[in-house]
Amino acid sequence: MTAYQELQQNPYRPWPARITSIIDLTEQERLFELRIIDDGVREAFEFTSGQFVELSIFGVGEAPISISSAPSKQGFIELCVRNAGDVTGALHRKQCGDVVGIRGPFGRGFPFEEMKGNDVLLVAGGLGIAPLKSLINHIHDDRHDFGKVTILYGAKNPSEILFRYQFDMWKHRDDFDLILTVDDPDESWGDEVGRVTRLFDMIDIEPENTYGAICGPPVMYKYVIEEMRNKAMDVDKIYVSFERRMKCGIGKCGHCGVGHQYACIDGPVFNFWEAMNLQEAI
Amino acid sequence: MAPRVVVIGLASDFGCQVQMTNIEDDLLDVLGLIDLQYWQLASSGHMPDSYDVAIVEGAVTTLEHIATLERVRATASAVIAIGACAVTGGIPALASHGRLEERYSLVYGDGPSVAPGRIKPQAVDSVIDVDYRIPGCPIDMGEFVQVLSRALQGLSDHLPQEPLCAICKTKENVCFYERGEVCLGVLTRTGCDARCVSLGRPCTGCRGLAEDANLESALRLLDERGIDTSDVLVRARLYNTLEEAFTR
Amino acid sequence: MFFRIMDKSRVLDLVAGLSQDFEVLGPVSKGDAFVYQRIDDPADLRLDYDTTLLPPKKLFFPPEEQMMRFRVADNEVVDDEVYAAPRVIFGLHPCDINGLLLMDNVFLRDYVDPYYKARRDSTLIVGVSCTPQESCFCNAWNTDEVHWGFDIFLTDLGDRYFVSVRSVKGAELLDDHVETRPITDADTAEFQRVAREFEAGFSDELNTSQLPLLLDAKFESPIWDELGERCLSCGACSMVCPTCYCFDVIDRLEPDQKTGVRIRKWDSCQFTEFASVAHGQNFRESRASRVKYRYYHKQWGYLSKFERVLCVGCGRCARACLAGISPREVVTALEAGGVGE
Repeated sequence: MTAYQELQQNPYRPWPARITSIIDLTEQERLFELRIIDDGVREAFEFTSGQFVELSIFGVGEAPISISSAPSKQGFIELCVRNAGDVTGALHRKQCGDVVGIRGPFGRGFPFEEMKGNDVLLVAGGLGIAPLKSLINHIHDDRHDFGKVTILYGAKNPSEILFRYQFDMWKHRDDFDLILTVDDPDESWGDEVGRVTRLFDMIDIEPENTYGAICGPPVMYKYVIEEMRNKAMDVDKIYVSFERRMKCGIGKCGHCGVGHQYACIDGPVFNFWEAMNLQEAI
Repeated sequence: MAPRVVVIGLASDFGCQVQMTNIEDDLLDVLGLIDLQYWQLASSGHMPDSYDVAIVEGAVTTLEHIATLERVRATASAVIAIGACAVTGGIPALASHGRLEERYSLVYGDGPSVAPGRIKPQAVDSVIDVDYRIPGCPIDMGEFVQVLSRALQGLSDHLPQEPLCAICKTKENVCFYERGEVCLGVLTRTGCDARCVSLGRPCTGCRGLAEDANLESALRLLDERGIDTSDVLVRARLYNTLEEAFTR
Repeated sequence: MFFRIMDKSRVLDLVAGLSQDFEVLGPVSKGDAFVYQRIDDPADLRLDYDTTLLPPKKLFFPPEEQMMRFRVADNEVVDDEVYAAPRVIFGLHPCDINGLLLMDNVFLRDYVDPYYKARRDSTLIVGVSCTPQESCFCNAWNTDEVHWGFDIFLTDLGDRYFVSVRSVKGAELLDDHVETRPITDADTAEFQRVAREFEAGFSDELNTSQLPLLLDAKFESPIWDELGERCLSCGACSMVCPTCYCFDVIDRLEPDQKTGVRIRKWDSCQFTEFASVAHGQNFRESRASRVKYRYYHKQWGYLSKFERVLCVGCGRCARACLAGISPREVVTALEAGGVGE
């Protein structure tokens, strides 16, 4: 049996993947680039932006992590990981060349194909940029298929802005409208100050052909969606991504229940109409 | 370099340290992971000045214990409290209910002063921050090995929060309350595999109160079942200082 | 489906015969209660049992099981084989067979669970009819009857069993191990009479109309706060439930820290940490929200996917709950708008 066949027999079995690069993004977050070791398994690994993997470190456990790289990047996946728990802490202690396990990709991502031909408004708060980064890069690699692309990204302070090396360059591009904001600026900060919702005054959108994508801390959704609704965007064109506790990633363990759905197989990306119908979701 | 470990005892019967020698098959494996620098029960040497992990057994009953723990906390990067005495105050903390001095004179008379600098018996974490807790009287060696392993890996305390009933159900024990008998499992932290109940004895609460436990509801329900709740509380005091639990 | 008649006295023959080829499990007494256990002496089998402490899910999805052995150094799986010996489970009531069918939807559909599947595939099911107990409300969900999910099913007609044969293997079991005869019109008439008597045996009819909608419409109802104040958050309800499938996954290292096992064990949505994430957010912090979620998922979440409620009315949770919280009470309270104590 090939490794791929073996893995298909057991969806709980992690696929060994080597860490090929580690970039320190902030004090707490690092970007890990992984390459699945087995050729057959690696080639079969196809995902859409917004999907996640279960990161598996034997002896410690598993944690769901959304994929930050674009599907257009072949052969490698990137995970932007905050050192926040046992598994992510153990990952942060790993070094380049070490092997970890991944399972996936799991869940429902952003409707990339459906978004084509439209404008896109992406709103991220804090670590919420991690899954959106995949979508942003995918749009970038397929830029001619999209209209206007606006990115609003807020963090607590300048040192917590993720992927700043990329975004600092992007601020000067014509094909992306990127606005960064922080709650607590320092002397070096030359961008906006305040909550991400404040940035909606600065943008113009055509609601009938604009898709929204939101990811951030749970408290953020309500306010960002309110702004999007004020701009007359359709409820079923606004997409949100939820983070929940997960043990299996495949609709069995029950931990990620959100309303009557499971974040792992029904989400983690939902449109706002669906999310409105999920009790305690927003 | 293997982490340097010390094992020290405060007020207890050393039962948990004895229990540690009962790992038998696994003892050498465990010892292979650590550099055991001092074990109060088994070493003749002195406490070293520097170490990484401190395993503390026993309740805090004297000012000297406080000084010891403060030194331990300043030295060790991880402190593991083992056994009911260290984790909840255990049996020694029974003396903390009511007037402490009267108890001492009752037992020791007016003779030579025992336990100079004595204080109200209490749990280790009421004096210093504790990173890992292994409750129980005595501790379970399987749990000890798992928690030590977590400590060596730098993982979080994985102390279960819920009461005993769930695991007890999986053992297919008939609930003591169905026979009108009192069992403290409904209030007590799980993790012991419901061993006592499976052997036919009600839970005595040696692992301390579970964070998830709903004390108010449990007492009300037991009262409704005609069970004397003051008796339940007396039993629960064996390993718990309940006043703190109710103000939690 | 075809039918046979088997003399009641022949059950022991059947069990003894099956024991030659299979591991046979069935209800046996444990004190005043009953548990599913391996049957070594056919006389131990208690087909007159009311219910078992744990449902038969424990035989397919054990309270704790090893998923795989692993090696730490290279993060590799050493072994994830599932070993399941051929066996027969004898004596399942309709509710419990229906419970397994509901579990099948979760474990045998998308992302097939290899551990559950191996045990399911290696198991033959012999069902047996029952008598409604005070705590039973299977009639509310139509799980008092079962039409598939067994190999043979024995309906008690007093001195004989009316045997429904569902599968080829079931037919073979009968052929190989026990003497039966064809049914007569009189047998069928008696079967019908017994079925009607069974229906009449339920203590009440639970009004479950529009339950999923009520759960949403009354999501903010004070009913949940009242139940939350009573709930002991002990999780007993989940453990004894034939359809609760939630689990936790834990890695346990061997003492030498070089290898270990990844295990899973039953979990409960009633535990505080069930829905908390690493950053500290807990999506169901209050007891009330957790009690509510248990019902919301069973009566609506699962239904939204599989068009059945995730409850078979066995009454085990009601028996196990020290606080006396029961589906019957909750459904009635939703219907009426308050908890009747």
